Amino acid sequence: MTKEANSYCRQIGVEASPENLREVRRFVEEVSRDLQLEGDDGYDLKVAVSEAAANAIEHSGADSFLDVCVTQHPDDRLTFEISDEGDFHLSPRKPEQAGGRGLGLPLMVALMDEVRIYRNSRGGTTVSLTLFLGGQQRETA
Amino acid sequence: MEISTSELRGVEVFEVRGEIDHSNAGRLSSAVDEPLERGDEVIVLDLSEVDYIDSGGVSVLLSTVRRLRNRGWLGVVNPNANVRRLLEIVGLTVDHGFRLFSDRTEAEDAIEEVIGNEQGKR
Repeated sequence: MTKEANSYCRQIGVEASPENLREVRRFVEEVSRDLQLEGDDGYDLKVAVSEAAANAIEHSGADSFLDVCVTQHPDDRLTFEISDEGDFHLSPRKPEQAGGRGLGLPLMVALMDEVRIYRNSRGGTTVSLTLFLGGQQRETA
Repeated sequence: MEISTSELRGVEVFEVRGEIDHSNAGRLSSAVDEPLERGDEVIVLDLSEVDYIDSGGVSVLLSTVRRLRNRGWLGVVNPNANVRRLLEIVGLTVDHGFRLFSDRTEAEDAIEEVIGNEQGKR
Protein backbone atom coordinates (compact mmCIF):
# COMPACT_ATOMS: atom_id res chain seq x y z
CA MET A 1 0.00 0.00 0.00
CA THR A 2 1.51 3.33 -0.99
CA LYS A 3 1.49 6.31 1.28
CA GLU A 4 -0.64 8.28 -1.20
CA ALA A 5 -3.48 5.74 -0.96
CA ASN A 6 -4.29 6.82 2.58
CA SER A 7 -3.25 10.33 3.42
CA TYR A 8 -4.56 9.98 6.97
CA CYS A 9 -5.23 6.86 8.99
CA ARG A 10 -5.82 6.39 12.71
CA GLN A 11 -7.30 3.71 14.87
CA ILE A 12 -8.45 3.12 18.45
CA GLY A 13 -9.72 0.07 20.28
CA VAL A 14 -11.99 0.28 23.32
CA GLU A 15 -13.82 -2.20 25.49
CA ALA A 16 -17.42 -2.52 24.27
CA SER A 17 -19.09 -0.62 27.12
CA PRO A 18 -21.46 2.40 27.01
CA GLU A 19 -19.08 4.30 29.30
CA ASN A 20 -16.56 4.27 26.45
CA LEU A 21 -18.81 6.17 24.02
CA ARG A 22 -17.27 9.38 25.33
CA GLU A 23 -13.80 8.11 24.49
CA VAL A 24 -14.95 7.27 20.96
CA ARG A 25 -16.34 10.80 20.60
CA ARG A 26 -13.12 12.37 21.90
CA PHE A 27 -11.30 10.34 19.24
CA VAL A 28 -13.59 11.73 16.51
CA GLU A 29 -13.02 15.25 17.87
CA GLU A 30 -9.25 14.75 17.64
CA VAL A 31 -9.58 13.55 14.06
CA SER A 32 -11.77 16.58 13.22
CA ARG A 33 -9.13 18.88 14.68
CA ASP A 34 -6.29 17.06 12.86
CA LEU A 35 -8.12 17.39 9.55
CA GLN A 36 -9.44 20.89 10.31
CA LEU A 37 -12.96 19.88 9.38
CA GLU A 38 -15.28 22.80 8.80
CA GLY A 39 -18.94 23.52 9.41
CA ASP A 40 -21.19 20.72 10.61
CA ASP A 41 -18.90 17.91 9.42
CA GLY A 42 -17.13 17.35 12.74
CA TYR A 43 -20.33 17.21 14.73
CA ASP A 44 -22.09 15.02 12.17
CA LEU A 45 -19.22 12.54 12.27
CA LYS A 46 -19.22 12.54 16.05
CA VAL A 47 -22.92 11.70 16.22
CA ALA A 48 -22.81 9.07 13.46
CA VAL A 49 -19.71 7.30 14.81
CA SER A 50 -21.06 7.40 18.36
CA GLU A 51 -24.37 5.91 17.15
CA ALA A 52 -22.55 3.13 15.31
CA ALA A 53 -20.46 2.47 18.41
CA ALA A 54 -23.56 2.43 20.65
CA ASN A 55 -25.15 -0.11 18.33
CA ALA A 56 -22.02 -2.24 18.31
CA ILE A 57 -21.76 -2.10 22.10
CA GLU A 58 -25.36 -3.19 22.48
CA HIS A 59 -24.91 -6.21 20.28
CA SER A 60 -21.47 -7.27 21.36
CA GLY A 61 -21.05 -9.77 24.13
CA ALA A 62 -19.38 -9.05 27.45
CA ASP A 63 -15.59 -8.66 27.40
CA SER A 64 -15.57 -7.82 23.71
CA PHE A 65 -13.83 -4.99 21.96
CA LEU A 66 -14.72 -2.29 19.53
CA ASP A 67 -12.38 -1.01 16.90
CA VAL A 68 -12.68 2.42 15.25
CA CYS A 69 -10.55 3.13 12.21
CA VAL A 70 -10.54 6.33 10.17
CA THR A 71 -9.10 6.80 6.72
CA GLN A 72 -8.97 9.88 4.56
CA HIS A 73 -8.84 8.90 0.91
CA PRO A 74 -7.04 10.95 -1.77
CA ASP A 75 -10.40 11.96 -3.30
CA ASP A 76 -11.36 13.66 0.01
CA ARG A 77 -13.66 10.94 1.21
CA LEU A 78 -13.35 10.39 4.96
CA THR A 79 -14.37 6.94 6.16
CA PHE A 80 -14.86 5.74 9.72
CA GLU A 81 -15.13 1.98 10.18
CA ILE A 82 -16.59 0.75 13.44
CA SER A 83 -16.01 -2.97 13.91
CA ASP A 84 -17.32 -5.22 16.65
CA GLU A 85 -17.49 -8.86 17.50
CA GLY A 86 -21.29 -9.16 17.37
CA ASP A 87 -24.15 -9.14 14.86
CA PHE A 88 -25.74 -5.89 13.71
CA HIS A 89 -29.47 -5.69 14.50
CA LEU A 90 -31.67 -3.23 12.70
CA SER A 91 -34.55 -3.60 15.12
CA PRO A 92 -34.29 -3.22 18.85
CA ARG A 93 -34.17 -6.41 20.87
CA LYS A 94 -36.52 -5.15 23.52
CA PRO A 95 -39.77 -3.42 22.53
CA GLU A 96 -39.40 -0.85 25.32
CA GLN A 97 -36.25 0.40 23.61
CA ALA A 98 -38.09 0.97 20.34
CA GLY A 99 -37.92 4.74 20.65
CA GLY A 100 -34.17 4.85 21.03
CA ARG A 101 -32.15 2.15 19.36
CA GLY A 102 -34.27 2.31 16.21
CA LEU A 103 -33.15 5.91 15.68
CA GLY A 104 -29.43 5.21 15.43
CA LEU A 105 -29.35 4.00 11.85
CA PRO A 106 -31.70 6.71 10.47
CA LEU A 107 -29.46 9.32 12.11
CA MET A 108 -26.34 7.80 10.55
CA VAL A 109 -28.03 7.81 7.14
CA ALA A 110 -29.24 11.40 7.59
CA LEU A 111 -25.83 12.73 8.62
CA MET A 112 -23.46 10.74 6.40
CA ASP A 113 -23.04 10.56 2.63
CA GLU A 114 -22.67 6.79 2.64
CA VAL A 115 -23.45 4.10 5.21
CA ARG A 116 -22.47 0.48 4.70
CA ILE A 117 -22.93 -2.43 7.06
CA TYR A 118 -21.19 -5.72 6.42
CA ARG A 119 -20.16 -8.91 8.14
CA ASN A 120 -16.45 -9.38 8.66
CA SER A 121 -14.72 -12.46 7.33
CA ARG A 122 -13.44 -13.16 10.85
CA GLY A 123 -16.91 -12.72 12.39
CA GLY A 124 -18.43 -9.58 13.83
CA THR A 125 -19.85 -6.60 12.00
CA THR A 126 -18.40 -3.43 10.51
CA VAL A 127 -20.35 -0.21 10.01
CA SER A 128 -18.64 2.02 7.48
CA LEU A 129 -19.52 5.72 7.51
CA THR A 130 -18.31 8.01 4.75
CA LEU A 131 -18.43 11.75 4.44
CA PHE A 132 -17.41 13.60 1.31
CA LEU A 133 -15.36 16.47 2.63
CA GLY A 134 -15.78 19.78 0.91
CA GLY A 135 -19.54 19.41 0.82
CA GLN A 136 -20.12 19.12 -2.94
CA GLN A 137 -22.00 15.82 -2.58
CA ARG A 138 -24.03 17.02 0.36
CA GLU A 139 -25.17 20.28 -1.18
CA THR A 140 -26.71 18.49 -4.13
CA ALA A 141 -28.47 15.96 -1.88
CA MET B 1 -24.40 14.70 32.36
CA GLU B 2 -25.84 16.61 35.30
CA ILE B 3 -29.49 17.37 35.91
CA SER B 4 -30.87 19.97 38.27
CA THR B 5 -34.44 21.20 38.60
CA SER B 6 -36.13 24.51 39.10
CA GLU B 7 -39.62 25.87 38.68
CA LEU B 8 -41.09 28.25 36.17
CA ARG B 9 -44.66 29.40 36.88
CA GLY B 10 -45.40 26.08 38.59
CA VAL B 11 -43.85 24.00 35.82
CA GLU B 12 -40.88 21.76 36.53
CA VAL B 13 -37.79 22.77 34.54
CA PHE B 14 -34.95 20.30 34.16
CA GLU B 15 -31.60 21.95 33.56
CA VAL B 16 -29.29 19.50 31.85
CA ARG B 17 -25.55 19.97 31.45
CA GLY B 18 -22.95 18.03 29.51
CA GLU B 19 -23.50 15.18 27.08
CA ILE B 20 -26.66 13.11 26.84
CA ASP B 21 -25.90 9.69 25.36
CA HIS B 22 -26.84 6.03 25.60
CA SER B 23 -24.84 5.63 28.79
CA ASN B 24 -26.85 8.20 30.77
CA ALA B 25 -30.15 8.83 28.91
CA GLY B 26 -31.85 6.49 31.39
CA ARG B 27 -31.24 9.04 34.15
CA LEU B 28 -32.97 11.77 32.15
CA SER B 29 -35.84 9.39 31.47
CA SER B 30 -36.22 8.67 35.21
CA ALA B 31 -36.12 12.40 35.98
CA VAL B 32 -39.00 13.31 33.64
CA ASP B 33 -40.92 10.24 34.70
CA GLU B 34 -42.06 11.88 37.93
CA PRO B 35 -43.96 14.84 36.43
CA LEU B 36 -45.27 12.56 33.68
CA GLU B 37 -46.69 10.10 36.22
CA ARG B 38 -48.04 12.97 38.27
CA GLY B 39 -50.07 14.12 35.29
CA ASP B 40 -48.24 17.41 34.61
CA GLU B 41 -49.32 19.01 31.34
CA VAL B 42 -46.10 20.81 30.61
CA ILE B 43 -42.49 19.75 31.09
CA VAL B 44 -39.55 21.98 30.22
CA LEU B 45 -35.97 20.97 29.56
CA ASP B 46 -33.35 23.70 29.55
CA LEU B 47 -30.65 22.39 27.19
CA SER B 48 -28.54 25.58 27.12
CA GLU B 49 -25.58 23.73 28.62
CA VAL B 50 -25.92 20.52 26.60
CA ASP B 51 -23.20 20.19 23.99
CA TYR B 52 -24.10 16.74 22.69
CA ILE B 53 -27.18 14.56 22.38
CA ASP B 54 -27.49 11.18 20.66
CA SER B 55 -30.43 8.95 19.76
CA GLY B 56 -30.55 7.71 23.35
CA GLY B 57 -31.29 11.25 24.52
CA VAL B 58 -33.52 12.09 21.56
CA SER B 59 -35.60 8.99 22.30
CA VAL B 60 -36.30 10.29 25.82
CA LEU B 61 -37.61 13.54 24.29
CA LEU B 62 -39.71 11.63 21.74
CA SER B 63 -41.21 9.38 24.38
CA THR B 64 -41.94 12.36 26.64
CA VAL B 65 -43.78 14.09 23.78
CA ARG B 66 -45.69 10.87 23.14
CA ARG B 67 -46.70 10.54 26.76
CA LEU B 68 -47.82 14.19 26.92
CA ARG B 69 -49.93 13.75 23.79
CA ASN B 70 -53.49 15.14 24.11
CA ARG B 71 -52.53 16.58 27.45
CA GLY B 72 -49.83 19.19 26.95
CA TRP B 73 -46.36 19.72 25.56
CA LEU B 74 -42.64 19.35 26.09
CA GLY B 75 -40.69 22.59 25.91
CA VAL B 76 -36.98 22.72 25.13
CA VAL B 77 -35.07 25.90 25.95
CA ASN B 78 -32.08 27.13 23.99
CA PRO B 79 -30.48 24.01 22.50
CA ASN B 80 -27.23 24.74 20.63
CA ALA B 81 -27.31 24.67 16.83
CA ASN B 82 -26.05 21.08 16.58
CA VAL B 83 -28.49 19.69 19.12
CA ARG B 84 -31.30 21.62 17.47
CA ARG B 85 -30.40 20.16 14.07
CA LEU B 86 -30.71 16.61 15.45
CA LEU B 87 -34.12 17.43 16.90
CA GLU B 88 -35.13 18.69 13.45
CA ILE B 89 -33.83 15.55 11.69
CA VAL B 90 -35.94 13.25 13.87
CA GLY B 91 -38.99 15.46 13.28
CA LEU B 92 -39.44 16.64 16.85
CA THR B 93 -39.51 20.34 16.00
CA VAL B 94 -42.64 19.96 13.85
CA ASP B 95 -44.51 17.86 16.40
CA HIS B 96 -47.54 19.59 17.93
CA GLY B 97 -46.51 18.32 21.32
CA PHE B 98 -43.12 19.98 21.16
CA ARG B 99 -42.15 23.63 21.68
CA LEU B 100 -38.79 25.19 21.07
CA PHE B 101 -37.87 28.33 23.01
CA SER B 102 -34.86 30.55 22.58
CA ASP B 103 -34.87 31.50 26.27
CA ARG B 104 -36.74 31.04 29.51
CA THR B 105 -38.81 34.18 29.04
CA GLU B 106 -40.34 32.69 25.89
CA ALA B 107 -41.05 29.47 27.76
CA GLU B 108 -42.63 31.44 30.58
CA ASP B 109 -44.94 33.27 28.16
CA ALA B 110 -46.09 29.95 26.70
CA ILE B 111 -46.72 28.53 30.17
CA GLU B 112 -48.73 31.60 31.12
CA GLU B 113 -50.86 31.06 28.04
CA VAL B 114 -51.64 27.51 29.22
CA ILE B 115 -52.51 28.81 32.69
CA GLY B 116 -54.72 31.51 31.13
CA ASN B 117 -56.55 28.96 28.97
CA GLU B 118 -57.20 26.75 31.98
CA GLN B 119 -58.59 29.63 33.98
CA GLY B 120 -60.77 30.53 31.02
CA LYS B 121 -62.26 27.04 30.98
CA ARG B 122 -63.28 27.24 34.63
